[in-house]
Amino acid sequence: MSTPLLELRDLATHFPVRGGVLLRARGTNRAVDGVSLAVERGETLGLVGESGCGKSTLGKTVVRLLNPTRGAILFEGEDIAGHSRRQLKPLRRELQMVFQDPAESLNSRHTVGNLIEEPLLIHRIGTADERRRRVDELLDLVGLPATAADRFPFEFSGGQRQRISIARAVALGPKLLVCDEPVSALDVSIQSQILNLFLDLQTELGLAYLFIAHDLAVVRHVSDRIAVMYLGRIMEYADADGLMSRPRHPYTQALIAAIPVPDPSRKRARTVLGGDVPSPIDPPSGCPFHTRCPHVEDRCRSERPELREVTRNGSIAHQVACHFDF
Amino acid sequence: MTSQHLLQVRGLVTTFATESGEVRAVDRVDLTLDRGRTLGIVGESGCGKSVTALSIMRLLPQPMGQIKAGTIHVEGRELVGADRETLHRIRGNRIGMIFQEPMTALNPVHRIGRQIAESLILHKGLDRREALVKAVALLERVGIPAPEVRLSEYPHQLSGGMRQRVMIAIALACDPALLIADEPTTALDVTVQAQILELIATLRAESGMGVMLITHDLGVIAEHCDDVVVMYAGRVAEQASAQALFASPKHPYTRGLLASIPHLETPRKSRLPTIKGMVPTLADLPDGCRFNNRCPHADDRCRQQQPALTSAGAGHQVACHHWQRIASLEVTA
Repeated sequence: MSTPLLELRDLATHFPVRGGVLLRARGTNRAVDGVSLAVERGETLGLVGESGCGKSTLGKTVVRLLNPTRGAILFEGEDIAGHSRRQLKPLRRELQMVFQDPAESLNSRHTVGNLIEEPLLIHRIGTADERRRRVDELLDLVGLPATAADRFPFEFSGGQRQRISIARAVALGPKLLVCDEPVSALDVSIQSQILNLFLDLQTELGLAYLFIAHDLAVVRHVSDRIAVMYLGRIMEYADADGLMSRPRHPYTQALIAAIPVPDPSRKRARTVLGGDVPSPIDPPSGCPFHTRCPHVEDRCRSERPELREVTRNGSIAHQVACHFDF
Repeated sequence: MTSQHLLQVRGLVTTFATESGEVRAVDRVDLTLDRGRTLGIVGESGCGKSVTALSIMRLLPQPMGQIKAGTIHVEGRELVGADRETLHRIRGNRIGMIFQEPMTALNPVHRIGRQIAESLILHKGLDRREALVKAVALLERVGIPAPEVRLSEYPHQLSGGMRQRVMIAIALACDPALLIADEPTTALDVTVQAQILELIATLRAESGMGVMLITHDLGVIAEHCDDVVVMYAGRVAEQASAQALFASPKHPYTRGLLASIPHLETPRKSRLPTIKGMVPTLADLPDGCRFNNRCPHADDRCRQQQPALTSAGAGHQVACHHWQRIASLEVTA
């Protein structure tokens, strides 16, 4: 077995919750609480969940914008969980991130050309001429005209700004892109353009993605495997087709049922999940989902189910964190 | 004739004064909504769907936003040009409204109970005690557990889904005939979105009110609306029953939108059909059909002449010069 490009082992990121006059730690927000996942080379792992489930925290921890509380982040077999900034610098060429809102992640005082050149400068790559040519190549790669280099981010629409962010992220030839809700701020007619760009870049550059989003239909479309996250933990983890055609966790089943389908002839009687996502500061005992689960039993309130393998499709296991089989 | 419809909008033109001159955010829009039905307005950012709602409520930002032409009848009463007195009697009483972000629509320094009671005291002449009793009943009706406790809480103490339920309780306090919901679930998680949309559907069925549901999500439209209006750059591109629109979309924009959404049946990792280009800004609209610079079927006529809404079947209207040719392409393809 070859080593996966990225492997997370029991990764946890906790934040102290401060309060009172002296801002003393009053509790712990267990945003990510024991996650084990793997991303293979050139593949897409989709990470889906509702707000507050910890998916963005997980993404930021993987690229080490946040420090993990425990666990291992193995990038090409090397544990980078405890790396210093200096140790991380060479890894930045391999591991990049794309954020939801390009209006906020791009410095509006720099031209697009400078923004895309910046990572090359930081890593001292090429001469000025070579860098200029590389910027042109990158603009072409993401579907922007070469003239864009001399303009400023605010002159572009949301979709074009996301293309600029992507050009910047792939400038150093990374192996893995962590994408945090990269299309959710875009208009419907623009989303598909950007999703196509992600698919094209994967084919052309052999990129792997950790694709984080709340929209299961979007995640399914781009992913080879999908992990469903709830309150800092993985509820289900499987190949994309297996997860969508035969979801085994009651939460995944509810998520799929809640997607509005643009086809009125498919109106169906569906079970609407009650309640809200509980706070990760004071998560429920036992199974984190038990407060909303339609199949809850006594055991779920006291005993937390671990991820277990239910079926196997070749090398890919279908794992679910539930005491029962549905 | 106007009294027959709950809501009838004819030839609505709403303009905004901007740095680059006056722009038409809504340009000759017609809408009709009957009691007990749900009308969906769907479109992308800047298409004029929210401005249409604000025009109906007469809540346009002043002095930039102005209704320049058209009529808006609610229960037969004309709202364009109506005085403040009349508007006060209608807003919050005959028309309820819920917005995308309940945290900004609710007053953060007032308790939930007071915010619900306010309109009951104002419109129904109840005293404070009676209004609070009614508020408890309303919170119960929108599915808020322990409503007596919630009355004395502040908005920040509630979750997003609960806040939207409170907004719905306020909107429904006076039994409105018309509920305008502008992206009511866009800020909510998908499982909570399902709860809120089910709640609105149940309340509509119980009370017989008409609902105008504004959204960018065609899935929400398909599951919750009887009729649909598709807007693009301030104009109606197509309108039809939800059944007809999804079964046989006529406008190239509607067709493009529907094709570009990944479905659960779309082959995974396949390239999605797209609409080229981007949503135009109102200050920089193309001549002729506003969709012509993104349309795969556009010709000279589309670049010169704006298409009017024409009938494309019973209750189905489309603003495209070439809808018949496009429909026949599909049959032969």
